[in-house]
Amino acid sequence: MMKSGLLPHGAGRVLAFLGLVAVMATLFTLAEPRFLSQANFSAMTRHMAANGLAALGLTFVVIVRRFDLSFAGVACFAAMTIGFAIAGGLPLWVAIGSGILVGVVAGAVNGIAISHFGLPDIVTTIATGSIAAGMAFLYSGGRTIFQNFFTSGIIDLNDARVLGFSVSFVFLIAIYACAWVLMHRTRYGAAFYATGENPVSAFYSGIPTRTYTALAFVACAVGAVLAVVLILAESGTADTNEGANLLMPAYAAVFLGAALMGGTSVLATLSGTFLITMLLDGFALAGMPYYYSDGIVSAILLGGVLLFDPRVRDILDDAVRFLIPKKTETRR
Amino acid sequence: MALPALTATSVTKRFGPFVALHDIDFSLEPGEIHALLGVNGAGKSTFIKILSGIHVKDGGRIELAGREVHFHSPQDAIRAGIATVQQHPELVPDISGYENIFLGRESEGGSLFARMDRKALERRGQALLKRFPVEIDLSRKVGEMPAVEREIVAILQALAGEHIRVLILDEPTSTLTEVEKDILFRLMANLRESGIAIIYITHRLDEVYEIADRFSVFRGGRRVATVAVTEAREERLSLAELMLGETLGEVFPEKNAAPSRGEAVLEVRGLARDGAFEDLTFAARRGEILGVFGLVGSGIDELSKALFGAMPPDRGAMRLLGQEASFSSPGEALARGIFLVPGDRRSEGLTLSRSSIFNMTLAKLDKASRRGGLMRRPDNLRAARRLAEEVTLQPPDIGAPVGRFSGGNQQKVVIAKGLYTEAELYIFVEPTVGVDIGARSRIYGLMRELSRKAAVIVMSTDCDEVFGLADRTIALYRGKRVPAPEDMPRGDLLMAGILGEAHT
Repeated sequence: MMKSGLLPHGAGRVLAFLGLVAVMATLFTLAEPRFLSQANFSAMTRHMAANGLAALGLTFVVIVRRFDLSFAGVACFAAMTIGFAIAGGLPLWVAIGSGILVGVVAGAVNGIAISHFGLPDIVTTIATGSIAAGMAFLYSGGRTIFQNFFTSGIIDLNDARVLGFSVSFVFLIAIYACAWVLMHRTRYGAAFYATGENPVSAFYSGIPTRTYTALAFVACAVGAVLAVVLILAESGTADTNEGANLLMPAYAAVFLGAALMGGTSVLATLSGTFLITMLLDGFALAGMPYYYSDGIVSAILLGGVLLFDPRVRDILDDAVRFLIPKKTETRR
Repeated sequence: MALPALTATSVTKRFGPFVALHDIDFSLEPGEIHALLGVNGAGKSTFIKILSGIHVKDGGRIELAGREVHFHSPQDAIRAGIATVQQHPELVPDISGYENIFLGRESEGGSLFARMDRKALERRGQALLKRFPVEIDLSRKVGEMPAVEREIVAILQALAGEHIRVLILDEPTSTLTEVEKDILFRLMANLRESGIAIIYITHRLDEVYEIADRFSVFRGGRRVATVAVTEAREERLSLAELMLGETLGEVFPEKNAAPSRGEAVLEVRGLARDGAFEDLTFAARRGEILGVFGLVGSGIDELSKALFGAMPPDRGAMRLLGQEASFSSPGEALARGIFLVPGDRRSEGLTLSRSSIFNMTLAKLDKASRRGGLMRRPDNLRAARRLAEEVTLQPPDIGAPVGRFSGGNQQKVVIAKGLYTEAELYIFVEPTVGVDIGARSRIYGLMRELSRKAAVIVMSTDCDEVFGLADRTIALYRGKRVPAPEDMPRGDLLMAGILGEAHT
C-alpha cells in the first residue's frame, strides 16, 4: 500500500524523474561535452533498446511477484542459435524466429516448473540459465560466429533509421506501446497484476493464475532474446557471452523504475531503462572502467529495491513526517 | 475448605467505547477443570487473555491463592503460576518434543556448552512425564507428531515450570479426532489429580459433560451462570437459553414470505470430502437464504470451497439449475453462476493494493472487456459507481486502494464484486467477521436483497447470525449434518452445532 510523503504521486513523480534526468545530463555534459553529441545520442537510443526489451520482459515476471535469473543465459544460447542459423545460410527472419523459439521453450520450462510444479523460482532459473548458457557452446565449441553476418541483413537492424531515430529505438517504442496497452488497458494485464498481488484472491476470482505465471516467464525469455538480436546487430558477430550483460541493467531498470513511479509498470520500466542506460553510457563516455560503472549502477539498483520495499518506504515516510510534521492529517 | 486457586472480582475490560467484560466474578478451585462456554464475542477469550497477561484489566481484582496479582505481560502471569496454551500453539517443528519443552531454558547450569545437552533434557522430560503420565514419544520431531501430541508437548512446555498452579487451555480439541481427544482428556485428568486447576475454553458441550467439574457461561461480556456439571445433568438446564439470551438484536432484516421461494438452484447429494465433511445432502432455492451453522472444524469452510470448485469433493453429486455440476476450479464455478464471499476477505477476496473498480470487475472480466480483451473503462467506472452506491460504500471512493478501507467497506466491495457477476447462487462464509455493527446490518440487508433474485447460502460459526438471517437452517457437527428439521428453533440450532444433537 502506498503512503504519500517522501515520494510524490502522479505528476510529481514525473517531474522528479525529469529533474533527475536533467541533473544527470548536466553532470555528464560537464564531465564530457561529447555527451550531448549526435553520435552519443544515437548510441544511447540503441543501447536503450536492448536494455529496454530485456527489462520489459522481466517486468512481467516482477509483476507476478517472481524472479527470473535465467534470461541472460537464455539470451546467450539464443544468440548462438541465431548466429548458427545465419552462418548456415538461412534467411534472417528464420534465424531470428529460431532464436525466439529458444526463448519460448526456455520460458515455458521455467514457467511450468515454477507455477505447476511449485519449484522455487530463484533456484530453478539459476539452473535453467546455467544450462542455457552452457548450451550456447554447442554450435561452435565456444568460437565466435560471424560468417554471413554482413550479407544476412542483421546489421541493418542496427544502422537503418526511421524518422531520424535508429530502427531499434522505434521498435522499442512500438513494443512498449503494445505492452502498455496489454498491461494497463486489457483484461490480461488485470489478470497479471491480480496474480502477482494476491494469487489466492485471483484464483477465487476465476483467473488461471498458474497460466499467467508461466506466461510471464515466457515473456521474460522472449524479451531477452529480442534484446540480444539488437546486440547481435550492433556487434555483427555471435558470441557465447553475448547476452550476459543483460541481467543487471534489466533488474536495475525494473526496480529503479518501480521506486521512482511507485510501482511496477510498463512506463516505470521505460523510465528506469532510460536512467540506467544514461548512467552506463555516461560513465563509458567519461572513460570510467565498466567494472566501476557496473558497481555504481548495482548500488543504485540496491537503492531502488530498498525504496520499493514498503517497509522501508514506511520507515522513510515516518521519518519525513517526524522531520516535517504536517498541519492536518487527513488520512483515515 | 482450601483457598481457591484463583478468584476474580469485578474484572472489567473496555476497548475504546466498547465494554468487552462487565464486572466478572469468577472462582477456580484447586484441582478443578472449569469450562468456559459462550458464543463468539461473549467475552471468554478476553477474560482468559486478562488472566494470562496479554490484556491488562481496566478494573477489578485478581487473586491467586489469596494474594492479589497484577499482570502487565504474559511473563508476569507465568511467574505467578498461570500457564496458557493458545489455540494454535507455536512450536518448532524441526526439533524434538524434549527440546521444544525446554526451549529457552535448556540449561540449568548456564554454561555455554551445557546448552544443548540432550541427555539432560531427556532426563528432565522423563521426570516431567513421571509427574504427568501420558503416552507420548518425546524424542520425535514435533513436525512429525499428530495434532494431539503437539498439544501435549505444548501443555508440558507450559507446565515445565514447577510452580504452575493454573493451566488455561484455549479450544484444545477443535482439531482433534475422537481417539486423540481421549488421550488429551486422560492427561487433563492426571493434571487435576496432581492439584493443577484447569480453565478450559470450548464450544463443544458433550466434552464439558465428559471432563469438566464446573462450567461458566459467558454472554455479552458478562458471566451469566456457573454450574456444577452434576447439577446441570440432573436439572436438565437449558444451556441454549443461558448462552443465547432472550433477544436476537435488531440487525437482521425481515425474512421473505414463504410463497416467494422458487426453484432449487443448487442440489447437493451425498457430498463428502475425507477429513472435512461427509454425506451432505441439501438444496438452496431461489428466493431464500439457507443457513449453515457449524463451529470451527465442523467442515463449513471446506464445504464452501467444495461448492465453489476450489477444493474438489471426494464423493457425491451437485446439480446446478437441474444440470450436473462438478467444478475443477473457481473459474468454472463462476462461469456457471456461483459466487463465493470467502471467510477471509483480505487474503481470499480482494486485491488490497488495487481500487474498487479493479476488484469489482475482476471476477467477470468477460463482462468488463470487449472481444480482444480491451477493458471497457467508461462502462466499468459507471458500473463501479453504481455498485458502490448499491452496497452503500462509505465514502464511495472507488479509486482508492481497498486495503485502506475498514472491514465493513471491504466486505461491501467483495459483495459488489459478486453483484457484478450476476450469479445464480451466492455463498457467504462468516460474512461479518471484523465488520462494525452499522455495516453489519447493511450487509445483512444486501444478502436479503440478493435472495430475492438468486439463491443465498450463509455459513457461519455465529449461531445468531445464521438463525437471524436464514429462512431454513442446517447444522454441521464434526463434518456431518445434524438430523433436525430445517425450521428448528434458535436453541435447537445452537445445540445441534455445539453438541451434535438438536434436543438435550
